[in-house]
Amino acid sequence: MNLFSFNYLSFQKCTLAQKYALALYIQTQTVFKKHSFFLLFFGLLIGLVLLGFAMTPYDPVETNFLNRLSSPSWKNWFGTDQMGRDIATRILYGAGWSVGLALIVSTAGAVIGMIIGLLAGSLGRFVDGFCMRMTDSFFAFPELIAAIVITGVLGPNTVNMVIALILVSWMRFARLVRALTGDIKQRDYVVQAKLNKLPYYLILSRHYLPNIILSVVVIWTSSWSRTILSISGLSFLGFGVQPPQAEWGAMLLDGKPYMLTAPHVMIFPGIAVLVTVLILNLMGDHFRDHLQSSEK
Amino acid sequence: MLEVNNLSVRLQDQTLLENINFKLSRGETLCIIGESGSGKTTLLRALLGLVPLSLGSVMLDRHVYQSPEQSQIGLPSTQIVMQDPIAALNPRQKIKRSIAESLYKSSLQAVEIDHAVLQALRDVELPESLENRYPAQISLGQAQRICIARAIVAKPDILFFDEPLSALDAIIQKQIAQLLDRLKKQNDLSYIFVTHDLGFARHYADRILLLNSGKVEEYQDVNLFFQGPESIYGQELLEAAYILGSLPQKKTEEFRVA
Repeated sequence: MNLFSFNYLSFQKCTLAQKYALALYIQTQTVFKKHSFFLLFFGLLIGLVLLGFAMTPYDPVETNFLNRLSSPSWKNWFGTDQMGRDIATRILYGAGWSVGLALIVSTAGAVIGMIIGLLAGSLGRFVDGFCMRMTDSFFAFPELIAAIVITGVLGPNTVNMVIALILVSWMRFARLVRALTGDIKQRDYVVQAKLNKLPYYLILSRHYLPNIILSVVVIWTSSWSRTILSISGLSFLGFGVQPPQAEWGAMLLDGKPYMLTAPHVMIFPGIAVLVTVLILNLMGDHFRDHLQSSEK
Repeated sequence: MLEVNNLSVRLQDQTLLENINFKLSRGETLCIIGESGSGKTTLLRALLGLVPLSLGSVMLDRHVYQSPEQSQIGLPSTQIVMQDPIAALNPRQKIKRSIAESLYKSSLQAVEIDHAVLQALRDVELPESLENRYPAQISLGQAQRICIARAIVAKPDILFFDEPLSALDAIIQKQIAQLLDRLKKQNDLSYIFVTHDLGFARHYADRILLLNSGKVEEYQDVNLFFQGPESIYGQELLEAAYILGSLPQKKTEEFRVA
């Protein structure tokens, strides 16, 4: 079937599989048209995280003391660090740690927060009170300090850092989802669904979730970028990804003694953090604009 | 068919409805009128099981409920059409699915549900192509027709309306009122309207239930009520409506479908 010359009659003659394929094609095209900006940068980030290592001939942990602290050149685009490792390679590998771990943390936080927020907003006053007091008590601690304390208690390594960051990242989602759910609960279509005896899980999946998911995605992108900064901060303080792994914050920590003599050791990882956080914040803005326009 | 006896609703030490009694026969239309805060919507919500009743009983054919627990199950064979048609439809759900939700508890197969949805759209004089649209892609009048389609698709005996025309302009109000009249005759439905619009109540109702501060001031045949209410509150209400011009002096029949 030629997708570019179909009409209503030829659509009628299609098999069910062809109809689904056509619907998927049109849907994908619409999504690409609407969110080309978001998809381009999202694809770039995910591409870097998954395939960054294949784009460089160097090993991120292989040392070469004869070539230490060399300036950017055609051979080493971003120069080398104090152990002669290629900084560009370490940034590409580091994307997996910084962006990938932040993605895991922010997604896990979003899922936990959504579950707690949905339960608090849609069930009775007792569940709401319990969930929100728990959220308030987690909110009482400054995010990064709490993460440092948890990582310090559990032991400074990557897994513990991820656990600590998840524990301090879900509350924002819970608050947002609870507020949205509380509002949707009063809407006439939810009242109607209850009158029609729809089970709770169907009311959740058909009425609550589709109406809160876009707002959650907006917060999720900003949470993702903030988590990159948190991971870099924790690694910079020595609580996160441990040497010799290439993580952007850890690279900044490694380059600190050479800030004046070889500034490129800190500048390029810093730019990587800056650009990534900027892209994610722009993505969040794009989604917020889309959300506002779709609500009109 | 529907019989409400001594219905009372108390919430947090506040009496919202007290000793409400009325009956509704098959094919009859009852308009519940009264000022804001008189308990009209609370009565509707109590009948639907959204507010637990404290005392009294509600009987629909052989189904009776008389305790707070029983009342929360709600009455079978009843549906409601809300005031704001756009707010009554999930903005992220296609029209088809919104209508089909009323058939969730039915024993129909998926194909039969699809047919029932299309038939309901035809019944409310809407094109079938509308089933794949979202609420943002339809007009207010179409949205109200869809809410009516969602209500009638479940083949209820009684339809409740909470100010169904107040969000619509005059021409669409007339079209919807005529549509409701036709559907009532076609399906032998009974209607209970909650309305502020005395003109509409006069044209449309068979009986009037006048509420004031949660109590029944008057339960009367529509013609007798508009000829001269027995209660002082009813007289004041009609007088105010005549002075403001919201109620014509004479009843016209052209509103109804022949």
